[in-house]
Amino acid sequence: MKVIMEVRERHRPNLPIEAECIVPKNFVGPERTFYVWKGNKKLDIRDVFHIRRDGHANSVDKVEIIIRGDSSHIKRIGEYMDGGRITIEGDIGMHCGNFMSDGVIEIMGSADSWLGREMNGGKIICHGDAADYVGSGYRGEKRGMKGGTIEIMGDVGDFAGETLAGGEIVIHGDAGDMPGVDMKDGILVIRGDCSRACGNMTGGTCTVLGTVHDMLPTFRNEGTEQRGEHVLTKFSGDHISRGLGTLYINNFKYMD
Amino acid sequence: MRIIEDMVCPFCGCLCDDVILTIENDMIIAADNCCTVGNAKFLGKKRLKSPIIKKDGVWEQTGYDEAIQYTVDTLLDADRPLMFGWSGTHGEAQCIGIHMNELIGGVIDSTTSVCHGPSILAIQEVGHPGCTLGQVKNRADLIIYWGCNPVEGHPRHMSRYTVYADGYFLQNSFKERKVIVVDVRETETAGIADEFVRVKPGGDFAVISALRAIIRGKGDIIPESVAGVSREQLVRVAELCKTCKFGALFFGLGLTMVKGKYKNISNAIELVDELNRHTKFTLTPMRGHWNVYGSNEVFTWMTGYPYAVDFCRGVAFYNPGETSAIDILARKECDACLVVASDPGAHFPRACVEHMKDIPTIVIDPFQTLTTTVADLQIPVAVTGIDAEGTAYRMDGIPLKVKKALDSNYPSDTEILSKMYEKMLEVQWQ
Repeated sequence: MKVIMEVRERHRPNLPIEAECIVPKNFVGPERTFYVWKGNKKLDIRDVFHIRRDGHANSVDKVEIIIRGDSSHIKRIGEYMDGGRITIEGDIGMHCGNFMSDGVIEIMGSADSWLGREMNGGKIICHGDAADYVGSGYRGEKRGMKGGTIEIMGDVGDFAGETLAGGEIVIHGDAGDMPGVDMKDGILVIRGDCSRACGNMTGGTCTVLGTVHDMLPTFRNEGTEQRGEHVLTKFSGDHISRGLGTLYINNFKYMD
Repeated sequence: MRIIEDMVCPFCGCLCDDVILTIENDMIIAADNCCTVGNAKFLGKKRLKSPIIKKDGVWEQTGYDEAIQYTVDTLLDADRPLMFGWSGTHGEAQCIGIHMNELIGGVIDSTTSVCHGPSILAIQEVGHPGCTLGQVKNRADLIIYWGCNPVEGHPRHMSRYTVYADGYFLQNSFKERKVIVVDVRETETAGIADEFVRVKPGGDFAVISALRAIIRGKGDIIPESVAGVSREQLVRVAELCKTCKFGALFFGLGLTMVKGKYKNISNAIELVDELNRHTKFTLTPMRGHWNVYGSNEVFTWMTGYPYAVDFCRGVAFYNPGETSAIDILARKECDACLVVASDPGAHFPRACVEHMKDIPTIVIDPFQTLTTTVADLQIPVAVTGIDAEGTAYRMDGIPLKVKKALDSNYPSDTEILSKMYEKMLEVQWQ
C-alpha cells in the first residue's frame, strides 16, 4: 500500500510542524484521524498534508509512505518506526527516524540535525547532506545509536555518531568537527575528510579514508595495515580513557 | 545624604555584596568598593521615562496598561512565541515568566544559551565537581583561569575570591598561591600568571586531552607540541596540578564558545575528576550576567531543565540547538518575541536580529538598548539592586538577596509580568 502525503502550501513555512504520527504502523488497517503540532496549535494532519491512500495493508511491512513538497520543516517523521518504508522526495526536518527499530527511510534531498537519533535498527539512506548529530544520543545521554545502518551520500555536520554504541554509519562525503566523539561501540566510516575524530572514544571502529585535520594527540600510532584496497594507519585510543577503540586513517595532520 | 552598606552589585556573576552607596536627593551619587563596570551600572542614567510603542515607524509614548494589553494580545495570538533574556532580573520575576510561558505555550530561554549553555550540557553528561567561592578563597593554592580574563570581565574576582584574597587555611595567601592562565592571547590576566599557556585557537580540547593523558601516566604518546603548547610545558602544568593542595579551575567563554563547545567542558570536568585521584580539585564556570545562574536554578526547579525549554505542546521539551533562542530566530521558527532584561540586539547574529525586526518584538528593560531599535514596544521597569529587590544566584550557586537602595515610580519586573500573567489567565478562563 502506498500513502502519498503532499505538504500543502503554508502561510508561515518556517514554523516547524511536529509529525511523529507519520510512521507506517499508523496506516495499517482502517483509516484513522491524526494530529500534528504547529507550535502550540494542534492541527488535523489533513490541514498540513494532502493525503492519498492507494490500496490497503494489513501488515506494517506492506506500507510505503511517500512525502512530497516542502518537508524541510517537518520534524520527527518516522519516530519509533518499526517496519515499512518512508520515502521523502525532498528535504526533511530534524529528528527524522528517532528511535527507529526496523524498516527503511530514504531521503532524496538533505536531512536536518539529529537524523536517526538513538536508533536501534533498520536503515536510513540520505542522498543529500545531513546536518549535525547524525545517529547521536539525546543531551546528556551516554549511549546514542545502538543498531541499524545510516548511509549519507553527501556531507554531514558536526558531532556525527556522537556516543555511538552500535550499528553502522557510512558517510560518503566529508564530516565536520568531532565525528564519533565519546563513541562506545559500532562502526563509523567517513570516506571524505573530517577534523578531530573520535575524541574520548572508549570502543568501536572508525575509518577515515580522507584526511583527519587537527588529529587528537592522545591516540597511539600502531603502524600501517592493509584494509581492503587501502593502506591505512592504525591508531588505538582514546588513551584519556581506556583506549579500547580503533581508528584507521588515510591521512592525518596534528595541530602542533 | 544617606549611606547604605553591604549592597549587592547587580552586574556580573561575582555578585559583590560589600558595595557602599551614597544617596542624595533620591539619586545614587557614589558607589564605593565597586569595580568600574558595577559603578557604571549604579550611576547609570538615561532611563526610559514611560513605555514607548512604534506606530508606522515612529516611536510614541504610551501608558503601562496599554503596553501590558498589547503584550498580552501579541503573545496569546502567536503560534510559537519566544521569551528570551531573564538573566538580568531577579528570580521572582523569572518564576512568573515560566508560568506565563507554560500558559501561552511558548519557548523560554535565558542568555545561558549564548554563554555557559555548553557548560550545562557537559555537566549533564559528566557531572559537576564544584564548590563555593568561599572554599576557593580559604583553601585554594592553585588557581587556573582557562579562556577567561577576569581582570577585564570580572574585575573583583581575583581580589575577593582568588589571587589577592586572604585564605583562612593559607599562611601567606598571595605567596603560596600559584596561578595558571590558559588563553589564545596574552591578556591582562596572563600578566599575573606564574605559568601562561598559550593555546592555538580551537586547540583547547587537544590540550586538555594531553594533560589528562600525562596525568594518567601516558605522556609518552604526546607529540612534541600540542596546539602551540610544548610537551615540557604540559608536563610542568600537570605536575603543578597534581602537587597542589587544593586546585580551582575557572573557565569562561574562551572554552565554551569555541570549536568543540560542550565537549571542551566535559573534557575539562574529566580532567578535574582525574586530578581528584591525586589531590582536591574543583571547577567553576565564570558566569557573566549577575543572575544567569539564578535563571538556570529557577528554570530547573520549575520545568526540570535549565534553559531553552519548549512548552509549545504543553509539556517541557529541552534540546539546545533546536529550542535555543539563536537557533529559533535564525531559522525563523517563532512568530513573536518577548525580551526581558537582556540585549540580544547587541549580541545575536545578524539573521536573528533581522527576524526579530520582522515579528512583533516586545522589550522589558529599564534602558534604551540596541534591541529597542528592532522592537515594537518597550516597557521600562525598575532596576533590581537600585529601585527593585529580589533574589539572585552567584556564579557558585549561592543565593543572595539583592536589596533596593531607593524608591521610584517604576514597576518592577515582577509587577509587570504578574499583571500580564493575570490578564492572560482571564483570557484563558473566558
